[in-house]
Amino acid sequence: MSARPPLRAAVVGAGRMGMVHGHLLQVHPETELVGFVDRDTSLAEHLASQGLRAPLYPSVAALYAAAPPDAVFVCTPTHTHVAVVRECLARRVHLFVEKPLATSRADAEAILRLATDAGVMHAAGYVYAHLPVVQAAHDLVAAGALGELLRFTAHAYVSEVFGPKKGWFFQKEQAGGGVVANMASHVLFILGWYFGAIRRLAASTRSHFSTVDDSAQVLFTFANGVTGLLDTSWSVPGTQMLDYGLAVDGRNGTLVLRRERILLHLLAPAAGHDAGWNEIHASDLPADTAFDVSPHIGGEAFYRQLQSFVDACRTGVLPFCSLAEACNTQRMIEAIYASAAAGAPVDA
Amino acid sequence: MTAATPPLVLELRPAESRHYASWGERLETVARHSRPDELHALCEEAYALGARAVLAVVDAPIREALLAFQRWRDVPVWAVVPNMFAFIRDLTDLGMVGAARARFTRLGPAAMVRTGLGAVSRLGAIRRRDFATGTTLVAEMELAALRGLRVTRLFLHPQVTEVALAGGVSAAFTALADRAERLGIEAGIVTHNPLRAAAVLGRELGRFAAVVAPCNPKGYKMFPDREACEQLYRREPGRFIAAEVSAGDAVAPGPALAHVRALGLAGAVLDPRFVERAFRAGT
Repeated sequence: MSARPPLRAAVVGAGRMGMVHGHLLQVHPETELVGFVDRDTSLAEHLASQGLRAPLYPSVAALYAAAPPDAVFVCTPTHTHVAVVRECLARRVHLFVEKPLATSRADAEAILRLATDAGVMHAAGYVYAHLPVVQAAHDLVAAGALGELLRFTAHAYVSEVFGPKKGWFFQKEQAGGGVVANMASHVLFILGWYFGAIRRLAASTRSHFSTVDDSAQVLFTFANGVTGLLDTSWSVPGTQMLDYGLAVDGRNGTLVLRRERILLHLLAPAAGHDAGWNEIHASDLPADTAFDVSPHIGGEAFYRQLQSFVDACRTGVLPFCSLAEACNTQRMIEAIYASAAAGAPVDA
Repeated sequence: MTAATPPLVLELRPAESRHYASWGERLETVARHSRPDELHALCEEAYALGARAVLAVVDAPIREALLAFQRWRDVPVWAVVPNMFAFIRDLTDLGMVGAARARFTRLGPAAMVRTGLGAVSRLGAIRRRDFATGTTLVAEMELAALRGLRVTRLFLHPQVTEVALAGGVSAAFTALADRAERLGIEAGIVTHNPLRAAAVLGRELGRFAAVVAPCNPKGYKMFPDREACEQLYRREPGRFIAAEVSAGDAVAPGPALAHVRALGLAGAVLDPRFVERAFRAGT
C-alpha cells in the first residue's frame, strides 16, 4: 500500500466504459473513486448494485461542490467530450478522456489546448497500447532494432455489424464515425506512436450495413517516410473482440506484432536480439497488474493504463498516451474521412 | 497423458472469442469449430487425453456437439453462464428487454413458466437494474436452455465474475451457489483474480467446489503475481483447477501439466489448441 494519499478520481459518464474505469479506480491501491456524474440519476442503484460505492451526481458542479476530485475520467459519448472537458477544467483536475478524443480534429485540438492551458496531466483511453507486447514492440522500433523504417501492413477486424444498428455509437455526428473512429483508432494510435506524424494518406470507406463506415482501407505516408496499409472492418466474421495485427519492415529486419507475441527477424543483431528469427512472448514480459477487470477484452491493459495515468499525476510527466498523441490519432481519423469523401489523397 | 497427469477438463467456448496467432489461423479454426462434428471430434480427442469434464460457454454448435458427445461418454458439462459476448451483442442490438426476451423465447414451456414466476418475484430489483439479480436471471435462462445436457457444475462467465469481484458483490456468487444447490449441482468460479475472489468471498469460498484460475510456470495471467497465486493454491490445492496452463502457447503440454501436478491442484483446463497439439503429439 502506498504511503501517499490516494489520487481522488471521479468518472463522468456512467456507461459501460465509465463503469470499467470506476471499478479499476476502486481496486487500484493508489486511487479513490469519489463520485460519478451522469444526468441519468436513476443509474445510482445500478451502480451501487455493482459495488460501485461512490455517489452519483447529476452534474460536474454538484460533484465539485460535494467531493472535489484530483482527476476526472471523461467517459461520455464522444460528441460531448469538448463541452464536458471545458466544464471539468473549471477546477484544476488531471484529465483522462476516453477514445476517440472527439468527433473532429478541431474539437480534439481544443481539448488538448484546454488541458495544456490548465497545466494538468492528461491521457486518452487507447487501451491496447498498454498491452505489454505492444509496448515492447514500440521499444524495439524506437531503439532502432529494425534500422531505417520502411513500410508496414496493419489490420483491425471485429465481428460486430451485420445489419442496421441503433444508438449514438452508430451516429456519425455523435460518435465521430464508424469502424475507423471507434475500432481502428486503436491501431491508428499505435501507428502514430510508432511512426510519428502523418504526412499524407489515401483512403476509401464503405458502409455495408450501418449508416457509418463499416470498413476502410488506408494507404499512409508518414512524415518520416514510412509507408503502409491499414485494412479494417467491423463486418467480418470470426472475431468477437478486436483482432489487430501489425507487420513492420525496416532495412535491418521485420517485426510482426500479434496479440500474444512479437516475431522479430533481424538481418544483423540489434537491441539485444540475435540475427535471424526471435520470438518475444507476452509471458516473457512483466504484466505489472494487480487486477484483471476484463480477461477477454483488453485484459491487463486496463490496469496498466490506469497505472500510467496515476504515475503521470504523481510525477508531473505526461504519459505516452497523452492527449497530444491522441490528437495525432484524430488527425489521421479526420484525414481518412476527408480522403474517402474526396476520393483522392489528402495531406494531413 | 500419463498416470500422474492431473484430472483434465476440456474448455469450450465460441471459437470467435479466443485469441489466435494470426488472422489466417483464426478464420481456419473458427470455420472448423463452427461445425458440431468437428467439436465432437475435439471432445473425443480430449477424452482420449484423459479429460473427464467439459467447461463450456455454450452456443448452438457447442450444444449440439456436447449432446452428441454425452450420448457416448459419461462426461459432465461444467456450464459457464451467461454467454457474455452474445449477451453484449444482443444488448447493443436489442436493448436489455430485447436481449432478455431473446433468451426467454428459447426456453421450453416449463422453464418459461418457472422463469416468468421467478422474474415476477424480483420485479423491483429488475426495475432498479440490480446487477446480481440481472446476472442471475440471464444466467438462469441460459442454464434452462441447456436442457438435455448433463450439467454438474455451474460457473458465472469471467467477464461478469471480474466485475462482481471488483465491486465486492458477493451476492452475485452466493446467488449462483444457492441456485446450484437447488439444482443439486455444484457451483464454481472462473477468474483471473483468485486472490480477490478469496478476499471477497472469505469463508463463502468454501461453497464453490472449483476455482478455475491461471497457473503456469511463467506466471502468465497470474495476477497480481505468480508467487501470491501459488501461495493461495497451496493452502487448499484441491479447490483450484489450473487454467492458462500453456501460458498462451509458450509452454509445451508436458511441462505445463507437470507444473500443475507439482502444485497438487485438482485439475487442469485444456483449451482446444492444447488438446489438438497434445493429441497429435500422442502425449
